[in-house]
Formats: sequence, structure tokens, C-alpha cells
Amino acid sequence: MTKLVQWLCGLALLGTAWATLALDPLGLHLPLPCQQVLWPFPVYLLVAFGCYSLATIGYRLATFNDCEAAAKELQEQIREARADLSRRGLNRSGEQGR
Amino acid sequence: MATAMDQLVGFGLVAFSLLLFVYYTIWIIILPFIDSDHGIHKFFLPREYSVTIPVIAGLLLVLFVGVFIVIVMWKNRKPAKKSD
Repeated sequence: MTKLVQWLCGLALLGTAWATLALDPLGLHLPLPCQQVLWPFPVYLLVAFGCYSLATIGYRLATFNDCEAAAKELQEQIREARADLSRRGLNRSGEQGR
Repeated sequence: MATAMDQLVGFGLVAFSLLLFVYYTIWIIILPFIDSDHGIHKFFLPREYSVTIPVIAGLLLVLFVGVFIVIVMWKNRKPAKKSD
């Protein structure tokens, strides 16, 4: 069973549970506040997931570490490579053939 | 360490999403259990908006992503025949 099928089965299960409780085909008559909480519940889960994604992105952005030494070394290596290529006769190695 | 701007934007995003989550949780889950004559209800919109606003925001997001993709693909189109 692929991951997609697993996810779809899980979603179908949750959707069926929600529909059974919300559309009330069995006539269970939950108390009114519970019904009011239940109706927007899928939208609530989506918004909660969106908030979690945004928070994760923001946190990783804030705690991402720059590597100054590695960046300088990389620039130096790029310069050396360019000089080496132009020495061997492959001029204009940085252009795209315009 | 990330730059100061990155840290500001990052933690700003975290604070914003936390605020949004708390507001939305109170709106959806806690308010129905509070009596309707309590003063807290005047800080929250009528309940219908708790579904329509996220749905419309989601549709707008999809619209923007689609428009962005169209613009990028339009800029990168190459002419069909060669130039020589």
C-alpha cells in the first residue's frame, strides 16, 4: 500500500467520523456547544496546520546559521576556477551565449 | 547566526502564527462553551466568518501562486524557431 493510499484512507476515516457526528444521521443529538465546535473542525485543522507550517518556516529562518568562512572559501575557489579556465582559453565562461 | 533582518522576520512569523492560532482556537473551540452574555464575545466576529475567512484566504493564496507561476512561465518562454 503506497503512502498516498494510506493518507487517503486516513483522511477518509476522519472525514467519515466528522460527517457522522456533524450531519447527525443517527439522531444522536449532541449538546449544542459540541455541535457548534464540530462544524468548523476540518477548517480548524487546516488553519492549525497552516499556522504550524508558518511558525516552523519562521523559526528555521531565524535560527539558520551563516558559515562566513565557508562562503569566503567558496568565493576564492570560484575566482581560481575562472582564472584557470580563462588561462586555458575558454573565455567568457560566465556568460550564457547571448 | 542568521542576519538581524532574518531573525526579525523569522521570529515575527512565529509570533504572528502563534497569535493567529490562539485567536482561532478561542474562536472555534472555547467560545461555544461560554455564555452569550459574557463580554468576551465582542472581541470575536460572528461564527460564520470563522469558516468563510480561511476558505477565501486559501483561495486567494492559490490564486496568487497560480498567477506567479503564469508570470514566470511567460517570462521564460523561448521563440519556436532558431535564430540562425
